[in-house]
Amino acid sequence: MAETSPPTPDAPAAASTEIGVDRWVSEADERRERGGLGGRIQQVWGMIPPAGKLALLTPALAVPFLPLSEANVYNYGLFILIYALLALGLNVVVGFAGLLDLGYVAFFGFGAYAYAFLSGTHQEKGHAYTHHWSAQYSILAAVVLCAVLGLFLGSSSRRLLGDYLAIVTLFFGQAFVVFTNSVDPYGVTNGSNGLGNIDPLKFSAFGVHLTVSTTRGYYWFMLGCVLLVLIIVHLLSESRTGRAWKASREDPLAAELMGMPVKRLKIMAFSLGAAIAGLAGSVFAAAQTGAFPQNFSTQVLILIYAVVILGGAGSLTGMLVGAAVIIASSQVLDSTSPPNNARTLFYLGLIVGVVLMFKRSLAQMAVAVASTIALGFALHAVVDAVWSRGVAGQVTSGGYLTGVIKNWVLLPANPNRLAVYGYLALVVLVVAIVQLKGWWRVAVVPPTLVLTAFVWENLLIQQPAVTRYVLFGVLLISLMATRPQGLFGQAKVEIV
Amino acid sequence: MKNVLVAAVLAAALSILATAAWGSAKAPARAAASSAATATVKCGSVRTIGMAAPITGPAADIGNQQVRWAKYFVKRWNAVKAHAHSRIKLITGDTQLGVDTAFAVKVAKSFASNSKMLAVVGPAGSQEVVASTDSYKSGRLGFVSGSATRVSLTDGHTAGNRIGYFYRTVPNDGQQAPAVANWMTKKLKWKRVYIIDDQETYSQGLADGTQNILKSRGVTTQRDSISQTQSDYSSTIAKIPSNYQGIYIPWQLAPQAQAFGQQLAAAGKGHIKLFGSDGLFAPGVWKITGSYDSAFPFNAANPVVLAYVKAHHGNGEFFGLPSYVAAQVDTLAVTKACKAGHGKTTRAAVRKQIAKTKLTTSLLGFPVAFQHSGEMKAPAAFGIYQIQKNGAFKRID
Amino acid sequence: MSTTPRQALGNLAGLGVLLAAWVVYAVYFSPTQGWTFFLQLTVNGIILGSIYALIALGYSLVYGILKLLNFAHGDVYMIGAFIGFGVLTLLGGPLSPAIPVALLVLCMFVVAMLGSGLLGLAIERFAYRPLRDAPRIAPLISALGVAFFLENSVLLLFGANYRNYDGYDLISFNGIHLGGSAGVFVSYLGLMVISGALLLMVALIALVRWTQFGKAMRAVSFDREAAAMMGIDPDRVIASTFFVGSALGGAAGVMFGLLYSQIYYLVGFLAGLKGFTAAVVGGIGSIPGAMLGGLLVGLIESWARGYLNGNDADLVVFGVLIGVMLIRPSGLLGTPALQKV
Repeated sequence: MAETSPPTPDAPAAASTEIGVDRWVSEADERRERGGLGGRIQQVWGMIPPAGKLALLTPALAVPFLPLSEANVYNYGLFILIYALLALGLNVVVGFAGLLDLGYVAFFGFGAYAYAFLSGTHQEKGHAYTHHWSAQYSILAAVVLCAVLGLFLGSSSRRLLGDYLAIVTLFFGQAFVVFTNSVDPYGVTNGSNGLGNIDPLKFSAFGVHLTVSTTRGYYWFMLGCVLLVLIIVHLLSESRTGRAWKASREDPLAAELMGMPVKRLKIMAFSLGAAIAGLAGSVFAAAQTGAFPQNFSTQVLILIYAVVILGGAGSLTGMLVGAAVIIASSQVLDSTSPPNNARTLFYLGLIVGVVLMFKRSLAQMAVAVASTIALGFALHAVVDAVWSRGVAGQVTSGGYLTGVIKNWVLLPANPNRLAVYGYLALVVLVVAIVQLKGWWRVAVVPPTLVLTAFVWENLLIQQPAVTRYVLFGVLLISLMATRPQGLFGQAKVEIV
Repeated sequence: MKNVLVAAVLAAALSILATAAWGSAKAPARAAASSAATATVKCGSVRTIGMAAPITGPAADIGNQQVRWAKYFVKRWNAVKAHAHSRIKLITGDTQLGVDTAFAVKVAKSFASNSKMLAVVGPAGSQEVVASTDSYKSGRLGFVSGSATRVSLTDGHTAGNRIGYFYRTVPNDGQQAPAVANWMTKKLKWKRVYIIDDQETYSQGLADGTQNILKSRGVTTQRDSISQTQSDYSSTIAKIPSNYQGIYIPWQLAPQAQAFGQQLAAAGKGHIKLFGSDGLFAPGVWKITGSYDSAFPFNAANPVVLAYVKAHHGNGEFFGLPSYVAAQVDTLAVTKACKAGHGKTTRAAVRKQIAKTKLTTSLLGFPVAFQHSGEMKAPAAFGIYQIQKNGAFKRID
Repeated sequence: MSTTPRQALGNLAGLGVLLAAWVVYAVYFSPTQGWTFFLQLTVNGIILGSIYALIALGYSLVYGILKLLNFAHGDVYMIGAFIGFGVLTLLGGPLSPAIPVALLVLCMFVVAMLGSGLLGLAIERFAYRPLRDAPRIAPLISALGVAFFLENSVLLLFGANYRNYDGYDLISFNGIHLGGSAGVFVSYLGLMVISGALLLMVALIALVRWTQFGKAMRAVSFDREAAAMMGIDPDRVIASTFFVGSALGGAAGVMFGLLYSQIYYLVGFLAGLKGFTAAVVGGIGSIPGAMLGGLLVGLIESWARGYLNGNDADLVVFGVLIGVMLIRPSGLLGTPALQKV
């Protein structure tokens, strides 16, 4: 990871109790220049003009998905783009304007339901709603409605600060799920069965008829939307409004005194973020041919936040990269994808983790890796000799790794109880690793890695879809503790 | 130097990851956009059918019953020597009924895009059928459910038209509601019945149907609802007058019925009997002694059924029995289609075979053949059960 | 941690007027009239409210001392419920307990409270302490991460199936009838829950008001640096506060399990949301506010379920909450937030 983090991990905490915190903040540029490989990459990237960045990112987004099968375009390509769009919207609210909006997913849902309602047909409880608006009208209506809703929610932020805003937006998000879930007398939302029978995107204007109904079609359309929004948000962020947002984020009182209409800015940020989410929602509903209340639950909200946090709030590139990383790993760890992919991803992640942990000392890295391998084989041999049932289990869909796993990892015949204890022990060990330093850490790492592989093969791989949420939770916690600015964000210190 | 080394290791790791993801992302059939739906599939000696059921989640109990019965059929089929070149592989998809209907859509999409998949058993819930219809249709897959009983699923216009794709090996609620109402009025002679639904499409349909019949027979009824995520039923219970004789709870989640029954007893109204529906057929989970339940018909004397009960320690798990028949229908259709196509077939051909199914005997106790709408031809009667002291469901009709 | 300006009294007066109007309507003018029904619902609401109050106390304690919204608290409550279930199963289960029932219940409570308390300690130590001086958004995101981690770990380890406490089999289906056999019925289990919650709340108030430690808690929540200069170790006080708050949540979890039987991995999310609502309505950071808020939310939920259709009840609860937030953002008994310049 980049070298722009402060020289020691304790620096931010130490800095905030020193006099002269501003010095640390102002040294950010120096650190960027000083910091080795990561710093150099940042410099080069910073030198490329925005149009150039766009030109580089577009094929990066478009090309990898061309040769994939339809299911993978849907699962990977389309979802990455949808979450990238959502992250861009949330970035406006959280990254630019600094408002903590925990109900953002409600706008996503509202856009989806609005589109589903206006461009579909459904009848429930004797009420039949058959609007078949063409997509340009229904998407526009969804976006405008969401913007109005964002205005309404934003106006509540006039009286509420920080935490209270978070609370109200959180409840707003929950109220949305409850509202769409409860079966209403007029059959508008159709309760927990969601709205189905949604038309594909049909544009007809000025004699031009265009229907987007295949997955690839949605993908290209979504790519267009993402690029459009990217350009809009970039231009906004460089404009007077963007600077005003950033100023009000840093110090609202000073901004107010400088003549910026802070309250109006907040409402604008909410509104714009909501509109972007509405756009994403309508295309999502069309692609899924359905809109269900649980599509907009807190899990989705946490995913969006993970994307924004990992990418770095305030950075547009970060949103795209964050979406790609999080959604790709989320889909690889899904229950409908082959388990061997999940396994590959997991072990590679472990390797990367070990490399990053010992990046300062190659000797420690070598010792840790070597002893891990040795320990695994030794343990396997010992258990094999002593308790044969300890290694009698099966490898789940091993593929090309079966041989290695069977000889390196313990696979008991009846792993359930052991796996649970192993998991709990693993949590304790990981916490211990975080606390230790130096050669103590090297001593604890090999048993931890062997235990991780054990728990993975015997428990986690059976339910990769749940594992990924556990990993995302851990990711959020560790990101906040070590690198709160994410991959592309800028380190900040709160000056009290 | 160190940095370069670290960077090199990282780059190598990432490129391996990318290659692995890429390599496994390439599906075998990389033809045109709608490839899997209309493609000709080589049957080979192992054919693939899918099963969409709630394997985890609050309805996991009934979902796993279905999976076990379907797997039982597949095991018996594969064990026959004559089927050595027409074996069946069953791929399960977890729809998590009761958590999120969107999972059913996801499973449907992944089945549809699996080019080897020829037919599907499931999904379990009526709302899941509604939600995943589009995905199955665009994938041209036929799906046979062993438990989705809502009447409107086969009428061809309510919430989508799935005629030709959706079949079911269970009688629908149009037959369940009369069976329940008949038992209540004729055998139990109830005059005052309280009806509570769980806000799902299955439950509401059943509750509506039963309430209408009861009202037409002069029975006093009142109606309320709870949600599937609710655990405190005390207010709902407080509304139930003490002189009511029975409470009809056509719910999908058995743990809710158990908690409800306990809270009912704790509120001093334990003398009011509970009457459930097929979704609550979960022995060991719902164990309020004396409660009634209506469930699918089956032939108790059939040797296959007896063998299953024996293999599962006396536990019949009859909720899943129709899924055995559904798997049987799918398997026979796939086998016939492959034979007719000389080793190659399409999903459309399999669906045609499903429509032409003719089983002279089945575990259900009557021959199985389908109408054009997807319903079975034989008029079937639901069975009425009562929960015994040891928790077992005993048939009393 | 709590002050009582005139505004708080005004809020309470307004609340009293609204409640009185509601009582009059419900008993005399609503379609389902009558005192018995209303009182039954009220009793149910008080029982439910006691549980919510205990959860809300956890939120308020932590917010008072750290100004942090601990979203993971609902999941600590859920783990408390699971620990209680584990103890129950280990000691024979609800139908054949190996030790006397009273002792068994006490055991469940003690172990669950200890377990949740320790979990709270661990969460504070590893997820929140590194972020003491970070921007406000960081501990909130971390809290979301912890909540996610806990929920899905339980799902991973124990599956999604519901576990049944069968509390009524363990204790009793019986209860007392107030006002004759057709009157209001309160089960023994319900009485136990109310008295247990009262006991814990009184203990907490005693702790905060009359012990040295309580004074330290109030000092640290008022001004952390000044308290440090006075010789109080803020880390220890904060850790202990987390312990107490989480233990209360664990106790609430066991009560929930005994009363309503079914527990599963998502039960913390819903209850946590309602408890959070209660804390906010009462004024977050204020202990009496949390208790009042909990009671209020329980009552409103019970009344809404009783007088309205099942679907609309949840909406009403949310509506009330959003209404309170818009009219009185700092809650009923809270202090309005001051912005430091």
